[in-house]
Amino acid sequence: MIVGVLPDVHRTVDAAWKLESAKIVASLTRMVRDVGLAEELAQDALVAALEQWPVSGIPDNPGAWLTTTAKRRALDHLRRAQRLERKQEQLAHELGQRQDRERGADARAEDEPHDVLRLVFLSCHPVLPTEARAALTLRLLGGLTAEEIARAFLVTVTVITQRVAAAKRTLAEEGVPFELPDGDHLAERLSSVLEVVYLIFNEGYSATSGDDLMRPGLCLEALRLGRLLAELAPGEPEVHGLVALMEIQASRAAARTGPSGEPVPLHEQNRGRWDQLLIRRGFTAMLRAREAGGAPGPYMLQAAIAVCHAQARSAEDTDWSQIAALYEALARVLPTPVVRLNRAVAVGKAHGPRAGLDLTDALLADPVLRDYHLLPSVRGDLLAALDRFDEARVEFRRAASLTRNAAERAFLERRADELGAAAPAGPVLGEAAEEFLGRDDLDPATRRSYGQTLRRLRRALGDQQPLASLTADQVTRVFTTAWGEAAPATWNRHRAAARSFGAWASLDDLTAGLDRRTETRPRARPLDPAQLDALWSLPDLPLREETLWRLLYESGAGVTAVLSLNVEDLDLEDRRARAATSTDGPSRARPRTRLRASWRSGTARLLPALLAGRTRGPVFLSDRRPGPARTPEAADLCPDTGRRRLSYERAEYLFKQATRPLDPARAGYTLRRLKQDPRDC
Amino acid sequence: MRYLMTTKPSDTAPDEKLYAEMGRFIEELTAAGVLLATGGLEPGGVRVTSAGDEITVTDGPFAEAKEAVAGFALIEVRSQEEAIELARRFRRIVGDGESVVQQVFGP
Repeated sequence: MIVGVLPDVHRTVDAAWKLESAKIVASLTRMVRDVGLAEELAQDALVAALEQWPVSGIPDNPGAWLTTTAKRRALDHLRRAQRLERKQEQLAHELGQRQDRERGADARAEDEPHDVLRLVFLSCHPVLPTEARAALTLRLLGGLTAEEIARAFLVTVTVITQRVAAAKRTLAEEGVPFELPDGDHLAERLSSVLEVVYLIFNEGYSATSGDDLMRPGLCLEALRLGRLLAELAPGEPEVHGLVALMEIQASRAAARTGPSGEPVPLHEQNRGRWDQLLIRRGFTAMLRAREAGGAPGPYMLQAAIAVCHAQARSAEDTDWSQIAALYEALARVLPTPVVRLNRAVAVGKAHGPRAGLDLTDALLADPVLRDYHLLPSVRGDLLAALDRFDEARVEFRRAASLTRNAAERAFLERRADELGAAAPAGPVLGEAAEEFLGRDDLDPATRRSYGQTLRRLRRALGDQQPLASLTADQVTRVFTTAWGEAAPATWNRHRAAARSFGAWASLDDLTAGLDRRTETRPRARPLDPAQLDALWSLPDLPLREETLWRLLYESGAGVTAVLSLNVEDLDLEDRRARAATSTDGPSRARPRTRLRASWRSGTARLLPALLAGRTRGPVFLSDRRPGPARTPEAADLCPDTGRRRLSYERAEYLFKQATRPLDPARAGYTLRRLKQDPRDC
Repeated sequence: MRYLMTTKPSDTAPDEKLYAEMGRFIEELTAAGVLLATGGLEPGGVRVTSAGDEITVTDGPFAEAKEAVAGFALIEVRSQEEAIELARRFRRIVGDGESVVQQVFGP
């Protein structure tokens, strides 16, 4: 027993647990073959320590105590499980054997690292969503509590608890084995693991608020995981590449924020504050990556770039052409917009701002970078280097408007201010847009709609963009990026707003590049009272048709929903229907939505006659039984008559036929037009 | 958090077993990503003292050798408790003696 001044026993338990938990959970998973159960049993040991140590004192070897206790729990569990399964006589014999086996397995110390590696692959398994992988890995490999993980990811404890529970459930349901992936899957599985580790690192690294140490603590967790992986899988170059990348990035932690928390760009950082110990560790990891051989993957290339920066004694010494070449190679294996943006920066440094700016032009149309503040920020830098200060200022202001980080916004505003006051270039986009929307003659709905369009233009082009320099090409680009994939109606609405703004601002050519798009499915215009009167006056309406039409008209429900009604759904007394989600499996005619519909006297008068005593099955039936080649879903058949549910196509055809004489166009009406605009009811 | 653990010299001479156990311990801590740097220090060393403008350089050995540092380990851990837990394991391997655990600030 250890005597003397000791910190809180709970903190000691926690420390011992965090150091040991990965190994404990890993070896328990091998024993019980279920990671969820293994973790519960391991937690039991932790609870036992929390209960016993304050009374009995901290054991000499807390880690070993936790391990032994947890394994004993696992053995107890296995015995109990066996006892349930087998007869008592057999048990004694087999238990002995099994125990020997377990003890034998325990004794194989060389298995332990492999168990931990298996656990890493398990908790980073691709069947799990990425956030679940990160949470589970921190939980199982880092021994972090749900509270700690929640604080680090800025979510509630409940979210993490549920995420971890769901992940364990998925692993169990999918039957993911506790094995190392075989050769064919190794690359894919490994990249899933590395992705999780780097995600954890970046969660910590991108955190700029220093209020809570848990977020920066994630960097340490990721580094530890990475270093652990490097020892467990020494032959994998990308593992060492990731470790090198993280070590070198972490080496700049102290230098990358200024006194008031503002970010300090790499080339302005005080290199004396870079942690040389971590840089050297990064270099060593890089050497190991090279020794492992193979074509350099994304992590190795990023690490190589980081090494280039770390080797430069000053910003001016940076070997930009080497970095540009590395980025080019990286853009080939990892062509993300952000990598391409960084490549533009490097090319701008190596081969001049003009070359860099050309590369960023291609990125302007990328929807992923639409609201990414670093794109205008980089363009601002390049434009400033080309002495195009007015354009640079617009880009910096736009970047400032896009970032959510206050310190960064201040920094970008300062960059804009440093470029001097804008030459008087007439009105600018932001102010013009405010003025346009502030007019008295716009009704609120229009103002809201126009506001959406202009907000997008302002975010994409910058408030300070002089109206005079606004071009149709720019507007076309913004439209294509933002609404290129949107429904034609949406596109046309924004186009109309832009045209209205252009006309108001006397910039008629602004929307020259925007074609009106054909709206394939215009909103159905409800039939007007005169048309309805004519409809109800049609002679000799069939009972089924009239009931369907009345019900559609009076309930305002969708055609598909009404056709999917069953007799059981109807409440004739209260004149309403409530269709629950189909329990008969997927069916074409029964939507998975809940329908609530009520009707009035017209329908109520007709329904009993239509049902004619039927108590179950589809309300609206087709005239004939299905032919032998057609086998509709059971839910779409009337169990009494054997007839199938009336199809949308058939109902639509009949309605068009019946209304053709009423339609001036002689095409007939569609059923959707029976649905009345709620405002008119 | 980084901690520096310094160890004072002990009377007992290290044997084969201790070397082997120490080697395993260091390997394990390196693999766990905890141990950043470690090493032993020559006994005595050179002492440099300043008083006013005067700087004196003295060669060892010194009388108070017991108070000197014989080895160090720089570790990166989550908490002081983790540092203490590791120091505890280290002491169990090396036997009687004394180590000091101090948090490192900076760089």
